[in-house]
Amino acid sequence: MLSLRTTNCVLKVLKTARNEQSFHRWLAPTLRELKRRKDSQGPEKPVHRKSFLEWNYDSEIYAFSKRLGEDFNNDLLLKAFTERSYIIDEEEKQKSVGIEQPTLNLIDNKELVAKGSEFIDDIVKRYLRTVLPRLPEEGIIELHKYLTSVETLSHVSYHIGTPELILCADFPVEKLTMANVLKSIIAALIESSGENRAAIFVRDFILTQIADKDLLQFWDLQHPIKLLSDILARDNIQSPEPRLVGCSGKNTILACFRVGLYTPHNKQIIGLGVGETVDIAHEMAAIDGLRQLFGTPENILFPYNLELEQLCASTDKNLSVNEWSQKNLPVQPTNFELHQVKMTSSC
Amino acid sequence: MVFTTAMMLVRSRGPDEFWRKRKIFKIAAHFSGRRRNCYSIAIKAVHRALQFATIGRALRKSDMIVLWNTRIRAGCEEHGIELNTFKEGLSRCDIQLNKKVLADLAIWEPSTFKALSDLSKSVSIDYELPGSEKYNVPTNVVTRGLLKK
Amino acid sequence: MSQFGRVKQWNTFARCWHLFDATWQNPLQCSPLIEKYLKGLHKPIYHPFVDCGDHVVIMNSKQIAFPGEEWRRRVYFHHTGYSGGASWTPAWELHEKDPTMIFRKAVYHYMKGNLFRRVVMERLHIYPDSNVPEEIMENITNQIQPLRPIPKTLDSYSNEEIEKYPKIIDYPQDYLLSK
Repeated sequence: MLSLRTTNCVLKVLKTARNEQSFHRWLAPTLRELKRRKDSQGPEKPVHRKSFLEWNYDSEIYAFSKRLGEDFNNDLLLKAFTERSYIIDEEEKQKSVGIEQPTLNLIDNKELVAKGSEFIDDIVKRYLRTVLPRLPEEGIIELHKYLTSVETLSHVSYHIGTPELILCADFPVEKLTMANVLKSIIAALIESSGENRAAIFVRDFILTQIADKDLLQFWDLQHPIKLLSDILARDNIQSPEPRLVGCSGKNTILACFRVGLYTPHNKQIIGLGVGETVDIAHEMAAIDGLRQLFGTPENILFPYNLELEQLCASTDKNLSVNEWSQKNLPVQPTNFELHQVKMTSSC
Repeated sequence: MVFTTAMMLVRSRGPDEFWRKRKIFKIAAHFSGRRRNCYSIAIKAVHRALQFATIGRALRKSDMIVLWNTRIRAGCEEHGIELNTFKEGLSRCDIQLNKKVLADLAIWEPSTFKALSDLSKSVSIDYELPGSEKYNVPTNVVTRGLLKK
Repeated sequence: MSQFGRVKQWNTFARCWHLFDATWQNPLQCSPLIEKYLKGLHKPIYHPFVDCGDHVVIMNSKQIAFPGEEWRRRVYFHHTGYSGGASWTPAWELHEKDPTMIFRKAVYHYMKGNLFRRVVMERLHIYPDSNVPEEIMENITNQIQPLRPIPKTLDSYSNEEIEKYPKIIDYPQDYLLSK
């Protein structure tokens, strides 16, 4: 049996030893155990930012408008972010609590979506017709279809930070909802700061999506060879003559052919294409010829400084493919060309 | 094995075995076999790997210079001018593009590179640099020497 | 990737076929030149890890030339792996056995040994004479300029050219020319 003195000594030694130890032996095993328990729970479900304590929706909405550098009417912006599904959801919640006639001071964004959608369609088409006066109407429509698709709009919407602000029932937010909210934000902008600001917004955020892209990839040209010869026939030029300009490794699977299209009357090259077979190269040469005729070369630079009054009228339309020819092209310079002339003269 | 916080990294300096080894195992995470799981083997492999990395940082610079030179030489060859004459001509025009930019131009901007080679050619003809006798005079460049003639 | 971008990529990485006439050429001096085309060092897109090299077809490898005593002095070593299996073959003997071997070895040994070397060598096609198969001849789009000019041999001059050649002296009547 230990005497009192020995016990005291042992305790003292233990105490000093504990004081000297500046690190925690227990920490690593504890953390490991915590990690094990956390892992056994399975992966964490994504939570909405609004479930956090310091979430302040009003200041977030205000910050959103300032981040974009626009002056929104805050009520309108709130309306733009409110989806129909959210209101229904909230009303049901109140009913389940026992409120017979739930009152919510919220209006959904249905009208704004329709208005914004119309505005985007108008601006996109007018901008494309202004900067691409030679591209046939079919091409303009295909480009417009790409720019106003749910994919493109939701991509833009996601990256300006809407998903956390949208008031809707679905979480994570669906693509269609994000696209709709972008439309309604633009409608809210029209009502807050006028059409000019909204047009600049559309130009900066939506129309920039085609920058540095091959424009003819959105327009699937059927039978480009026939199309090119039809167009040239309208200008009284005989159908172009394909010539094999170069080939390498003809008998191998890595063969590469280069076909040039020449006009028969003045022997000028109008298109050059390459491909793994002569047929593909011929087709690509025709596409290249069309690309040059339609004024959409590979290295096209869009003027992203046009404003609303510089765009052509909504009633103007480009020529259709079926009547497209050099003769039928508008002779008068478009607004955009006038603008360019002004720019160069002022420089 | 990732340090989620800076605190964890600081801890690994201490005498606690777990944290000390954790730092080494983190570096050895992508090694194969026992070199990633057994500490005494892992520590040797990590030392070697870090030595190689130190040497590699210097080697990468020289490797890139060799690669850029190869690419620029290939670009010059397409337009029938030697690398040294090309560089000399550019420096006499006070065009201060480095090897990296020239190599990028040779790949992505072939027509810009051709313009540079034409410029260099006509300058080397002007200054009668060695080897410039065999060049055809580029028609798209006007130099001071041409005006004097 | 758009359709146009796809064919552009195809065009950039297309393999060319080059022809090289080895008549009177020194294989040791030619190997850097051949290596350049095989590895794609002549393209601005070159990178050591990118397979961007071209094909080279060498014809008339039987007609290669070595300077001085090289045919006798240059020796190719081979070891079977068994004891006493070493053998040394002089260049002239190897050339008699396989007229493509000396050129192939020259190019192979010039290149730095790495995992790409044998892949690159697969793109080198050597033929001892000018009978290159028609199928391969159709692929060729470029000819590599030989390093040294091919000298004209005495028997390739026609009688007219020899007669026209200015004479310094006339041989005496009783001078016997060796036949």
